[in-house]
Amino acid sequence: MEAVEGPPAELLFHRPVRPIVMLRELWSRRELILVLVERELRARYKQTRIGFAWALVTPFVMMVVFTVFFKRVADVKTFGIPYPLYSYVGLLAWTFFSGALSKGAVSITQNLTLLNKVYCPREVFPISSVATAGVDTLIATVILGVLFVVYWFAPAATSYWVPLLFLVQLAFTVGLTMFLAGLIVYVRDIRQVLPMLLQLGLFATPVGYGLEVIPESWWPVYSALNPLAPIIDGYRRCVLFGLPPRLDLVAIAAVSSAVILVAGYLSFKRMETGFADVA
Amino acid sequence: MLPDGTIVAADLWKRFRADPSRQSLRARASNVKRHMRGRGRRGWRWALQDVDVRIEPGESIGLVGINGSGKSTLLKILARVMYPYAGNVDVVGRTGALIEVRAGIHPELTGRENIHLYGTLLGLPRRMVASRFDEIVEFAQLEDAVDRQVKFYSSGMQMRLGFGVAAFLEPDVLLVDEVLAVGDTGFQQRCIDRMRAMLSEGTTVVFVSHDLASVESISERALWLHGGKVQEDGPVRDVLAAYRQALEHVSELTADNDGIVQLVKARVVASEGDLLRTEEPADVTLVLRSSQPAAGRVCIGCSEGPASPIFLLRHDIHLPDDGEVEAHCHIEHLPLPRGRYFLWVGVFLARGELLGWQPAAHFDVAGPDLDMGPPGIGRLSPVHVAASWQVGER
Repeated sequence: MEAVEGPPAELLFHRPVRPIVMLRELWSRRELILVLVERELRARYKQTRIGFAWALVTPFVMMVVFTVFFKRVADVKTFGIPYPLYSYVGLLAWTFFSGALSKGAVSITQNLTLLNKVYCPREVFPISSVATAGVDTLIATVILGVLFVVYWFAPAATSYWVPLLFLVQLAFTVGLTMFLAGLIVYVRDIRQVLPMLLQLGLFATPVGYGLEVIPESWWPVYSALNPLAPIIDGYRRCVLFGLPPRLDLVAIAAVSSAVILVAGYLSFKRMETGFADVA
Repeated sequence: MLPDGTIVAADLWKRFRADPSRQSLRARASNVKRHMRGRGRRGWRWALQDVDVRIEPGESIGLVGINGSGKSTLLKILARVMYPYAGNVDVVGRTGALIEVRAGIHPELTGRENIHLYGTLLGLPRRMVASRFDEIVEFAQLEDAVDRQVKFYSSGMQMRLGFGVAAFLEPDVLLVDEVLAVGDTGFQQRCIDRMRAMLSEGTTVVFVSHDLASVESISERALWLHGGKVQEDGPVRDVLAAYRQALEHVSELTADNDGIVQLVKARVVASEGDLLRTEEPADVTLVLRSSQPAAGRVCIGCSEGPASPIFLLRHDIHLPDDGEVEAHCHIEHLPLPRGRYFLWVGVFLARGELLGWQPAAHFDVAGPDLDMGPPGIGRLSPVHVAASWQVGER
């Protein structure tokens, strides 16, 4: 079967990328996302002794480590906020991002056997990973409540900014997760590098320290490259300091996140057509 | 808008990497380097070449072809699991696919969770899955095992669960890849019965199998793929006859003929006239050459293909030291309906063989066609029986 001419160029299969149709199909499969989240949570916590409490352990331990390292060693300025509380707000946001990315990026490769047998819009897998990370983060919020009680500190009234900030964070997270999930199918090496990149990302983002550490003239560029920075800064400002987020930086982050979401989604749909071929 | 259950595939082309292991960055880098130097054309292998199929709702079609002919690729494209390189596919309605054993089965989950997961993957509401749940469990004979993780199931149980789920969740199109081989005979029969029931409810069934008898029993139409191309597409009987003949051609070439005994001549002729006819006498003539004296048993058989013979005849035979023997066999009533058949010959000892079982000649029989039975039943019967009917009121 060598020397076969191949089909004429006008016949080549091009999957039409029609966002409206795709979103409608995704919406019709929302139940599937719920089932996948439920499955993931069940499978993860079913055979463990302390079950859902595991979702608390990681961010809690990180907070302790950060408190020792950043507070005692690096002496980060927190402007009168107890450091554990200060860092935990950042860690909570980071936990969501890194949890979603680390699970979502491998969600396609892990489910390839299933994908090879049944049709469904493939994006349900990364999206359900993001949703699972959301559930974990929600559980981890319990510790934030405990910290508020321990330090006898009430969240500020400006907390109503949180949903908006979260929306931007969600767009960024979903976009990046989908892009990586598709890419890893073709370039498996990324899977090995990803944990390391996430580690670096944790230190390149103002999680354990404040945005003030970075020179102010860099902030716009920094916000465009790492939308999480103004978002986490915004969470802290509105929940702990009673200030509105820095809206100019959040706007930059929002534009950047929107671009990443659209590009991630479209590139995922492009890559999707070849998933079964490399499985 | 086409009705649910229609499959339209036009000008399908599909290619794969000849060497699919290139996934590391390093291999890619070296590939790019070679590419830039003008060497190293990327190797592609065509799995499907310009395949056109149109299947109407409620039709049952069998896909046949040797290994690597593109059957599974076509099925995967129809299941929308895989995308073609060129061409267009339109499968209208919900598709239930059983591709590879254990389709849609997740090993870490229990049988119960799997049924629900697969249902949701098909896009069914939970209520509907719940309403068919008992039927699936009963069909798959799972009983208490439903609450066990599927990884602890036997392969037969996994297959039964997979088939049960795919077949009972009321798809408009059912795609079944070579899977029935795993089940025991009783279960195979129930699968076939189930497929027939679905056909009568208007489901479109696309069925891939190497077991031509079961293809014949389910499908009205067959599609024969060879080297990724449609070799033939038509009524199941015609396509399978052509396919069998092609297989025969291959096995004829591979037939081994340099043992102790050699077949010099094999022929089937009509005892009177020049056409072999159903129910009329026929003569089989064999000439065997042997290089050493031996006593064995000569066997002749007749088949429609490499499948099991329709009938067998045997006789004791004495072979001389370095000489030829001619054997005649007279068949008084040839029980074969119209068609093309193969004569198989072999010479056997009590243990071992002198001449391996091989197709030796083909012959055509003229006569009436078999009466067609109800879909899926009549085609399994290859023997012509002379009979007369009398029907009247009593």
